[in-house]
Amino acid sequence: MTTDLNKALGFLCGKYSVASGEIIEKDGVFRVRCGSGDVTLLPWRVERRFTELGNLIANRTLEDVSTFRFSSMTAGGRLMNQVVRELDLAAWLGGAPVVSLFAVCSGDAAANVIAKLANDISASIECNNKLPAGAETIDRHEIIARRGIASDRVVDTQVPQASIYTFTGQGGARYTDTDAELFGLGEAQIRLVRAAFAALSNPALGDDWNAAAAVMDGLAEAVRKSDSASVMINLQGGKQI
Amino acid sequence: MKPVKIAMMSLTHGHTRKYYQTLRENSKLDWVASCAEDQAAKDVYELYKTGVPCYLSAEEMFRKHPDIEAVVLASANDRHLEQVRFCAERGIDILSMKIPTFDMDEYDKMIELCGKAGIICQIELELHYNPVVLRLKKLLGEGAVGRILSVQATNITLSPVWAFPWQGVPEASFGSRVPLRAGDRRFRGGALCDHPHVFDMIRWLTGSDFDCLFAEVAPNLRPDIEVEDMLLVNGRMKDGTAFLFDPSWSRMEERLKVPAPGWEVFPKRMEVNITVTGENGVLVCDCFGPNVYHNGAPNDRYTVQYTYFDEWIGLIDEFVDCVRHRKQPKINLKWHKQTIQAMNACYESISTRTPVRPA
Repeated sequence: MTTDLNKALGFLCGKYSVASGEIIEKDGVFRVRCGSGDVTLLPWRVERRFTELGNLIANRTLEDVSTFRFSSMTAGGRLMNQVVRELDLAAWLGGAPVVSLFAVCSGDAAANVIAKLANDISASIECNNKLPAGAETIDRHEIIARRGIASDRVVDTQVPQASIYTFTGQGGARYTDTDAELFGLGEAQIRLVRAAFAALSNPALGDDWNAAAAVMDGLAEAVRKSDSASVMINLQGGKQI
Repeated sequence: MKPVKIAMMSLTHGHTRKYYQTLRENSKLDWVASCAEDQAAKDVYELYKTGVPCYLSAEEMFRKHPDIEAVVLASANDRHLEQVRFCAERGIDILSMKIPTFDMDEYDKMIELCGKAGIICQIELELHYNPVVLRLKKLLGEGAVGRILSVQATNITLSPVWAFPWQGVPEASFGSRVPLRAGDRRFRGGALCDHPHVFDMIRWLTGSDFDCLFAEVAPNLRPDIEVEDMLLVNGRMKDGTAFLFDPSWSRMEERLKVPAPGWEVFPKRMEVNITVTGENGVLVCDCFGPNVYHNGAPNDRYTVQYTYFDEWIGLIDEFVDCVRHRKQPKINLKWHKQTIQAMNACYESISTRTPVRPA
């Protein structure tokens, strides 16, 4: 998989005269190897929909956020990676770290987490990896504020929509393409390449992301402990207190 | 079967108006009278032109209509014990709104009163009679996703406090004035008290009871009300099923005195969505969808126009069957007690910031 990714990354770096790097993967976590060391990739932070949701908060289209409602369902994959990704999204969009959480999991298959950010925003994180093999991820990110609600899902729908649907003798198919430069790669691959390119283009981002990744490791530990001991965990800088 | 002669009391509950059509159109019922909590409730009642006489005194209503067999208690939660006692003394069967009381001593007294009087007391949790829920139960019963691992459910609405002010008054809604937690200016009695359905539903879906619950409040969307409007709940059932509920008033509303078109600000005023993760897959379910959509009068605002399924038909069918054949309804006081205890545990958890086992 990384062969295609690195080919695409090389294309972008060459086109925009950015020093190249190499995308590597271990245990479901992707990093980009560059001159200054490895950077853990947080590809959701370069995803257009999350950028726009963040903008809605930053430019005060939404005022006084109260609650995030996030969910993510995948076909397999590491549950805890999903959970900490969603927690990182909450902290990043909310502009404040997670300071407490209570988690109830069902083994490695499902997790239900309630978290509190330092600025009093609440977040619910609902994850499972029990979609059948080959199924597209189903997720939802809803921001509820005193003024306005924003979401990456259409009102009164339960699953993501697509740009193109075909209905033919071969059955139904759906297509969503968001990146003409990287046309042909899957959406998840595009996000990884874009994240790697962002880190290579802006070295300061690497420190930020590596710090966030360390916090995510702490959040994963907190989720596990909260679930196993049935206790609310207080956190500071991703560490349990 | 002889129609049940039925009356309504108080007329202050948010579901009151939903009964007007049901009581008139259901051939199993003969709606003979109503009594309003006060003149204001009577004035609103008269807007609907039901043609059914309305009194300001329950005693007067029963004196003039001694043939009343059953009542719908459409009242604030803090009126329920008194009204249950009133009905029990007269042998009148009861269809109670969704929260009998949060005071467990009062709750036990209600059980005792109904038991001694031999009357039926059905709790109105209409979601059970929704056809989507019937399909959901059937699918899960057939093992569509295998053993249930996790359930997530929303029960989110706009806030009814502007049309039904008692729902924003801690004493009337929760039964007493209890701060959410030390240092918080809000009190128990808000969105949680309005949304028992999913707490009951998971007991039906899993066949299990609550083991522990954790609840957290968020900043109110309506800072000018004194009860909670945003909260989240997660926990575990005794069979190990993990769950997460959102029972918030997270959809904003126009502050109408009488519910009417244009009440909602967010396009969809109410949602009950349930996700069930099983060993063999996932089921997602919208109990009130799909719908139709418009941006017409009164606000030219994109709006979900519900294509409601009438849950009240099945609910009334069961109630009449129980009244006529002296059967216990599915959701009776004893069954519902654990649901109320779980909701009380949520408030306890908010206060202590720890998971709580229902008492």
